[in-house]
Amino acid sequence: MTENTDDRVSRKRYEREKAARAEAEALLEEKSRDLFLANQKLEEYSSNLEQAVLERTAEVRLALERTEAASAARSRFLATMSHEIRTPLGGLLGMIDLLEMDEKEPGKLELLNYAKTAGVGLSKIVNDVLDFSKMEAGVFLFEEENVDIRALIESVKILATSHETGTDRQIVTKVSDSVPRLFLGDATRIRQVVSNFVSNAIRYSFDGPIIIKATTKDNDGKTILRVEVEDFGVGIDAEGISNLFKDFTQISNPLTAAAQGAGLGLAICKRIINGVGGEISVESTFGEGSTFWFEIEIETVDLQNVSGADGLNPPVDLPPEGIQGTRVLIAEDNIINQKLLLTYAERMGLVADLAEDGSVALEKFAPDKYDLVLMDIAMPKMDGLEATRHIRERWAAEQIPPILALTAHVMDAIEEEAGQVGIDKILSKPIPYEELKKAIENVVAGNLSSSNSGPVFSSKPKRAKAKPQIEEARSLVDLMAPDVHKNLVEMFGLDGLSDFAGKFLQDSSERIEKLVSANDDGDFKEVRAQAHSLKGAAQALGFPDMAEWARKIELDETGHEDMTVLETAEMFRAKLTELSVILKG
Amino acid sequence: MKGVVFVELLKMAEDAFGEEAVDNVLDKADLENDGAFTTVGNYPCSELVKIVVAFSEHSGLSPEVLQIKFGHWMMAFFIEHYPEFFKDKTSAFALLESVDQEIHVEVRKLYPDAELPRFDTERHSDSHLSMIYSSPRPLDMFCQGLIEACLEHFDEKGEISRTPHPTAENTTTFDVTTTA
Repeated sequence: MTENTDDRVSRKRYEREKAARAEAEALLEEKSRDLFLANQKLEEYSSNLEQAVLERTAEVRLALERTEAASAARSRFLATMSHEIRTPLGGLLGMIDLLEMDEKEPGKLELLNYAKTAGVGLSKIVNDVLDFSKMEAGVFLFEEENVDIRALIESVKILATSHETGTDRQIVTKVSDSVPRLFLGDATRIRQVVSNFVSNAIRYSFDGPIIIKATTKDNDGKTILRVEVEDFGVGIDAEGISNLFKDFTQISNPLTAAAQGAGLGLAICKRIINGVGGEISVESTFGEGSTFWFEIEIETVDLQNVSGADGLNPPVDLPPEGIQGTRVLIAEDNIINQKLLLTYAERMGLVADLAEDGSVALEKFAPDKYDLVLMDIAMPKMDGLEATRHIRERWAAEQIPPILALTAHVMDAIEEEAGQVGIDKILSKPIPYEELKKAIENVVAGNLSSSNSGPVFSSKPKRAKAKPQIEEARSLVDLMAPDVHKNLVEMFGLDGLSDFAGKFLQDSSERIEKLVSANDDGDFKEVRAQAHSLKGAAQALGFPDMAEWARKIELDETGHEDMTVLETAEMFRAKLTELSVILKG
Repeated sequence: MKGVVFVELLKMAEDAFGEEAVDNVLDKADLENDGAFTTVGNYPCSELVKIVVAFSEHSGLSPEVLQIKFGHWMMAFFIEHYPEFFKDKTSAFALLESVDQEIHVEVRKLYPDAELPRFDTERHSDSHLSMIYSSPRPLDMFCQGLIEACLEHFDEKGEISRTPHPTAENTTTFDVTTTA
């Protein structure tokens, strides 16, 4: 017992330890509760935060949607306005043109001239605003084509000096020998910038020459083109320079009291040049003059690879290929534009027929009735795109004369669709008399592709002939796909081909009758079988239209174009008749 | 003041004077909780002073001497229980310098409400360090003991001189000079 004394603990000591433990446990509980409460609070904060983030995100999303909707509405508004403004404006300018042609009295001519100047100015502003809104919407596209900067600068010069305010001004052009004859770029946009510089130079100076200079320099193996336009006019102070390329700004012009234009010209130039990765700026001394310049990287075009039409030998003026007597179908709903186009046509000596709407145009159209169709795009009931589509579906490519579209829409917007439905060329309204005449001359001369305004579609079906009068196909080659024709001639000779075609004619004539009667009997299996055979035979002989019609019947797709099997078969028959005429002849 | 200090002080007393003596001293000391301390608790510093005075009376040793001894005891306790604070230290000065910057930072993570003393240090040379102790409590001799024990731990020898601040209460500068 005595040796255990050291291991034993006194009552007092035990009580003390118990009290200490109780206190420790109480402290632990308190800490745990504190911890729990702290966690609870933290969770609350966290969920509040999540809620706040969700709400904020929803608000931001809503705001974004609203902004996007507003932006889309603005774009629609601008597109609509462009149409609404350009159509009557075109009418006005056209009427003025007509009046001017007939007017002899100098006083009235002067008034007309003022009216025209104002109208052209307005037209430029509308176009500027449109360009600008297209840039804002990010749909401003740059073309890549061969640019002859010498010709371009010359044409800007001629235009500027022929204009009323520039007639008495001297414009000097200096193009350095180092500048390539041709390079790749967007000629229209470069012309826009140069001519903006030049018209500013004329506006902001009253005498002294205006110098247009073009030079190149080498930058790390890349060729940089620099174009400068120098004037000795009012000049710009430092503050003015910093605002110069901003949207909707103009510097005050001591030479003309009133502001002119929308103040968008240089802002658009800046966007154009920046859009192709170039630089644009100005050096100016107040009271002494300004030099506006831009620099863009260019890719020189190898002259060896350029065919004549691309600009090396600029297209010579076409001999007056007598558009007189050309029969034209004009589809136009707007009464003013009707009057305008009819008068233009009369002046050009065309034989014009008017359709007030796309559907009327479709009714009036028949092969060999017209040499040309002028199609307005926006028309009630049936628009120009729709009418063109129907014409292309109803008649073979050889039977359809060139179709020119006239539109006041932003061209890029309808370009693709126009190409798809088979419009040969788009002309922008308002169209001046001379421009329309030139376009018609080009088209009638079979020179669709060398015209220099507006897009041309290479995807359109190849026109067999370039003659103005679209005639019935006279030989097999007109009906057949060229490559197939070539192959077959090589294989069978011309006579062999005729025999071959004769067999096709005989066989297909029988089959198409079988097909039609099977269709009448409701034997669609037989219809498909005959169509399949017809398709194969037509493909073999290179008759694309017939192959396509047969394919549509076989796959029961005729309904896609609101045609019955019988109507499609009728087209097939008509083609066979055509073939038979050729073979007999 | 943290309960661990009270618990360790009583342990030291038991080690020195025996359990029975400690029981008796605690009885006489008139403590608020009769000496039932837990390491996780907090107790007023005045209770600690009462205990030191009671043991001084019991043993005849001065309270200052007891504080110094307790400093040594606590340093041994720290070395045993908190080796991570000593692991990468190669000298007494390095450890003394880390008290405010490292050790107290860790202490606050466990006891956010702890009332810690401040230890500002200034290294005059490789062998001379000033440490200014300022605390709400009059425990400068306890500090002395801790510093001595720290030197011993690193197997260093040196002199420690104490200079109380002329006006500020409980602020003392310890000048530690080590000898090779």
